Amino acid sequence: MSNVMIELRDTSKRYGKLLANDRLNLSILRGELMTLLGPSGCGKTTALRCITGQVTPDEGQVLIDDIDVTNLPTHKRELGMVFQNFALFPHMTVYQNVEFPLMIRNEPQAESRERVMETLRLIRMESYEKHYPRQLSGGQQQRVGLARALVYRPKVLLLDEPLSNLDAKLREEMRFEIKDLVRRLGITAVYVTHDQAEALAMSDRVAVMNAGRIEQIGTPDEIYECPHSRFVADFIGLSNFLRGKVVSSSGEQATVEIDGRLLIVPAAGAAQVGQDWLVFVRPNDIELLPVTGEPIENELDGTVSKLTYLGDRIDYRVALGSALELRVQTDGKVRFAAGEQVRVRLPPASCRPVTE
Amino acid sequence: MRNLATVYWRALVQRKRLLGTVFLWTFFLWITTPFMIIMLKSVGRNWFGRKWLPPNLTLDWYRWAVTVANIPRILANTLIIAAIAVTISTLIALPTGWALGRRKVRGKELLTSIILLPRMIPPIAYALGVAQIFYRLHLVDKYLGVGLAHVAICAPYATLVLSSTFQALDDRVLEASAVCGANQLRTFFHVTLPMVLPGILSSIIFTFTTSYNELTLTLMTYGPHTITLPVRTYLAVGEGYWEVTSAMSMILVIPSFFVLFMIQREIAPEKLVGGFKGV
Repeated sequence: MSNVMIELRDTSKRYGKLLANDRLNLSILRGELMTLLGPSGCGKTTALRCITGQVTPDEGQVLIDDIDVTNLPTHKRELGMVFQNFALFPHMTVYQNVEFPLMIRNEPQAESRERVMETLRLIRMESYEKHYPRQLSGGQQQRVGLARALVYRPKVLLLDEPLSNLDAKLREEMRFEIKDLVRRLGITAVYVTHDQAEALAMSDRVAVMNAGRIEQIGTPDEIYECPHSRFVADFIGLSNFLRGKVVSSSGEQATVEIDGRLLIVPAAGAAQVGQDWLVFVRPNDIELLPVTGEPIENELDGTVSKLTYLGDRIDYRVALGSALELRVQTDGKVRFAAGEQVRVRLPPASCRPVTE
Repeated sequence: MRNLATVYWRALVQRKRLLGTVFLWTFFLWITTPFMIIMLKSVGRNWFGRKWLPPNLTLDWYRWAVTVANIPRILANTLIIAAIAVTISTLIALPTGWALGRRKVRGKELLTSIILLPRMIPPIAYALGVAQIFYRLHLVDKYLGVGLAHVAICAPYATLVLSSTFQALDDRVLEASAVCGANQLRTFFHVTLPMVLPGILSSIIFTFTTSYNELTLTLMTYGPHTITLPVRTYLAVGEGYWEVTSAMSMILVIPSFFVLFMIQREIAPEKLVGGFKGV
């Protein structure tokens, strides 16, 4: 028994001219909550449907629990799934909905009843067993959906944007509820979403997808702090991108010339003088200082062109010369006015080269 | 000042309510008066409309309708023909509605308008054509013949109701069933069928009432063996027996009331008119 629960091996899927999945390779470990994150049309739903069997990949293999299921129909794959629009059976009560997978598996009545009630208690819906889905709120319906998916203890739980149809406050509560439930049951879960905050809050690992391919796989903090590509940096959180040329390199550090100014960027040895680099830095990593004396290393002078008050922080646009503008977010303890001269400090540790 | 404002406001609201009540009653009477006159006529003797209510009450006209006009036999005819029309229309509409509601069909709009065509052109013109063909095929004065003529106007309704029922069927609910472990057969019986059953039932009720009430198409295709209640009632008017005719229309109305009652109890009426939301 390997520690990999789900494996996509070079799976590709084409819809007419659109390449929805382009040679995906993905291993999801046992007991892990893996999120497929990306904008709509990035292929995350196709990847999920390859796992459920609603889509058969044109090429490649899908393995669940070390068994090749590429051509196994959905109903034989022993999965649990939660849908964006809940997809409860409208003609069945909460109890019947949750009982459905057990009924299909011909579980004895008494055991089945026990399991259903146990699962309903798990999601705190035991007093609603006789209600119909239309009598429940969105959050309650989704909890029932979760119970239906978990009741027969499937190998894998698949969640297809389960929180998108809920309002913001409920969404946040449900995040923790789902995460907690998945942890407690130790079930392997695949979570599909386009919401980066959700992905960061819930996942053990995140696979960021773009245009049918996986751009980067990593833990939430790896994805946020060390994005490999411009797409990942841009999709997760706010980013500034600075384009420049490497002018000198000394092992751990490289100096990049950006619009006539020099910036020291940590480099993992790979820097070559003359290379074109894209340097990325998060707005909240940049420090904003009053202009006093001469700027030192990684300090640049500019003018506040715009500021927006956001409550817990202030969002500044700082113009550095005519072509370059930085977005800076500070906690607002020291404030600057629009038009004021400021000095920005880009700590070298926060600057990071990314690929286009 | 505030008190005065409240008084005025209350008065306005009251007035609005009054106006609403008046409208509602006018509408109600407008719909029910002809019906009430027929009802009174069917149980009244020596009533020629000069007094508000008939002077003597009698059930004679109903007795006449049953014995002389042979209404039970005619009612049976009407129901048999309606049953034929409902069965054939439903059998046609199930696959057609499925294709129109679930599949991507090229020229869907054109197809829909062709299906609706028998309902669009004047019934008498359409019935004339049907009669010409049926005379040649010896289908006139046959249950099947009259039933088939009714299918021409029943099937479009059934197709419309069923295609919107099937369209409203959520794919993801069916997917959910598959993920839960149900194969296609079990998904059909446990999920698909229960979800579309109300739609199929409303389609059946619709086609039944359409056939049951149909006059024009029956007029062109009926014969002595297949005379239906609407036709008999229509002919009785020509014969001049107003009281017996009224009794017949009362008998004609009873099943409609039964259906209306059933719809009110079993399915929400708003699903039948407008929306057709299916489930």
